[in-house]
Amino acid sequence: MSNETTIDLACENISKHFSDFTAVDNISFTIPKGSFFSILGPSGCGKTTLLRMLAGFEQPSSGDILIKQKSMVDVPPNKRPVNMVFQHLALFPTMNVEENIGYGLRRQSVPKNEIVERVAAVLDRVGLAGSGTKRVEQLSGGQRQRIALARCLVLNPTLLLLDEPLGALDLKLREQMKIELKLLQKEFGTTFVYITHDQSEALVMSDQIAVMNKGKFEQVGTPHELYYQPATAFVAGFVGDSNRWQGNIESADSATVLVSTSDGLSFKAKIMGDEAMSAGNRVEIFVRPEAISVNRTAPSTATDNQLVCQVETILFDGAKSQIIAVEEESGGKITVTLPQTSDFANLQQGDTLYLNWSTEQTLCFIDSSRGA
Amino acid sequence: MSSLRVTSPFKLGLWLLLAPLCLWLVLLIILPHLELLVFSFTEPEDGSFTFGFYQEFFLEPLYWRTFVRTAVMSIMATILTLLIAFPVAFYIAKMLKGRSKGIVFAMCLIPFWVSELVRTFGWMILLRESGVISNFLQWSGMSAGPVELLYTDATIMLGLVYTSMLFMVVPLVSTLDSLDDSYIEAGYDLGGTNWNVLREIVIPHAVPGIVSGCIIVFMLSLGNYLTPVLLGGKDSLWFTEQIYTQFITRFNWEQGSAFGLLLLLLSSLIVWAGLKLSGQSFAKTMG
Ligand SMILES: Nc1ncnc2c1ncn2[C@@H]1O[C@H](COP(=O)(O)OP(=O)(O)OP(=O)(O)O)[C@@H](O)[C@H]1O
Ligand SMILES: [Mg+2]
Repeated sequence: MSNETTIDLACENISKHFSDFTAVDNISFTIPKGSFFSILGPSGCGKTTLLRMLAGFEQPSSGDILIKQKSMVDVPPNKRPVNMVFQHLALFPTMNVEENIGYGLRRQSVPKNEIVERVAAVLDRVGLAGSGTKRVEQLSGGQRQRIALARCLVLNPTLLLLDEPLGALDLKLREQMKIELKLLQKEFGTTFVYITHDQSEALVMSDQIAVMNKGKFEQVGTPHELYYQPATAFVAGFVGDSNRWQGNIESADSATVLVSTSDGLSFKAKIMGDEAMSAGNRVEIFVRPEAISVNRTAPSTATDNQLVCQVETILFDGAKSQIIAVEEESGGKITVTLPQTSDFANLQQGDTLYLNWSTEQTLCFIDSSRGA
Repeated sequence: MSSLRVTSPFKLGLWLLLAPLCLWLVLLIILPHLELLVFSFTEPEDGSFTFGFYQEFFLEPLYWRTFVRTAVMSIMATILTLLIAFPVAFYIAKMLKGRSKGIVFAMCLIPFWVSELVRTFGWMILLRESGVISNFLQWSGMSAGPVELLYTDATIMLGLVYTSMLFMVVPLVSTLDSLDDSYIEAGYDLGGTNWNVLREIVIPHAVPGIVSGCIIVFMLSLGNYLTPVLLGGKDSLWFTEQIYTQFITRFNWEQGSAFGLLLLLLSSLIVWAGLKLSGQSFAKTMG
């Protein structure tokens, strides 16, 4: 029973309907204490709605929300041990930094001198010591971000909710804040529930990620699990880059299938998902660009899947450079990672490449988009 | 030289645009006040310079007491209007969405399609001795005889608040509209009660709207003639009534001019003091 006490948040079958539209559809999950939990999903999938239910701004249509084993359904937002960092931060423009951070403490009737101390302490911890008297509009984007965090963290909430807080920042700053957020979370030990539609944010920062689509959780797992063992075609396509083909099953055994794609290629693939597969099923297969081994000469030993291709385009992006190659007969295209070895230093358009990869790295899902 | 030629058509356009405004200012505001100024300092018999008409205001208790009474009642009417208009404006700006918002806002506007005279007359029909309310009270047995509800200070106040409502609601709705919902939500999220959120987030944000609404309502009440005279009767003792009496009944234009200027001066002084007290500047409020 010891692990029960370390669960900070448990959602049991919560749903939210707006008239006839279902924004959140029967979701259950638990978040252990001190972890960084991300909810990752495309725009409009119901992430904000879910978070607002946790904060208390929306009532779930059905289901229960438990924080530290206490039901929160009838608790108003100002009484929940939960704080939220809003998408546009919502720092009060009529107050300076100190007053903003002190706002929540004043609500708890903390004595004045203690407020001053705690505000100074939290400012120090987010690396902005001494900027207490600044006005909100005098701060840079990244500083505002940290003030918004400090304003919540000073209250020691059980749960901190963050709704795409990095969305408004430019790319450079976002990369930097990603790391900073993770470090702050570790340091404070607060449980974070972080919403994003940016998979790299989720992968870098999270202990656990829930991938959300159309109001449902497709999969909950560690970044590693989502990346290497996606449970559904949606997760495989949404998390990380993949080469993606549609095709039909030629033959199937217990763990692998032989698929002929609509381009006319033929691959051996590993069965994923919980649906049974048999010959004739329409399927989708996914191969990560970095899983494909690239050679300039024909390999001596045969592997599960191999293609002979011509270089069509080289997308140079430093260490993340990619090659788009074309298979001769079918004209099908495939993206692979450009190896950083001297062999490939003078790679040119039209050069021949020998690609091969294993069945293990070829993930096959039933194509649900057009029915089985 | 060429730059001059480029800017001149623009300048002409600017002047054409400003011309009506300038004419309005000069002909209807500045000119009459200059005239008043000259009048108020001139002895009618020999045309010599005199302070007498201003002295009259301060020496005759009726005059300055009427003025103080007018100012105090106007301030009270302004505060009352603010207290009633704020919840209405908050409801319109923050609680209502889409169509219903437009409808309720329009409902606030509709009374102002009718002229002030007719509106005030409406109040008189309701409130006079043989009026609707008096009849109802007698019919229902709550009162034995006819009840006169007109000609009291409370009636004047009622009329002033009713007349000024819109001019408070409109600026309040527009400032409250510009307050993003997430600030209010953040206020609750960090543990604030309704009162805390109102006190620390909504009101500080709405200050410019509150101040401009108050200035408009105060000036309108102070300068109102129809409502106090019709609802307050002969003894309403409103300062504009004194000015009217001087100009029209007594034909004492010099005294009337002095009162007119004093009204302008003193009301400006009160507005200035109000702005200072609330820590606002005029430019900030109007901008
Ligand atoms: N108050 C509401 N009334 C009706 N529909 C709503 C309401 N709030 C949200 N929705 C709908 O619910 C769905 C999910 O909205 P939500 O804001 O949760 O999406 P999201 O995942 O946060 O998207 P984004 O990444 O764009 O912020 C949307 O289709 C939206 O139109
Ligand atoms: Mg959202």
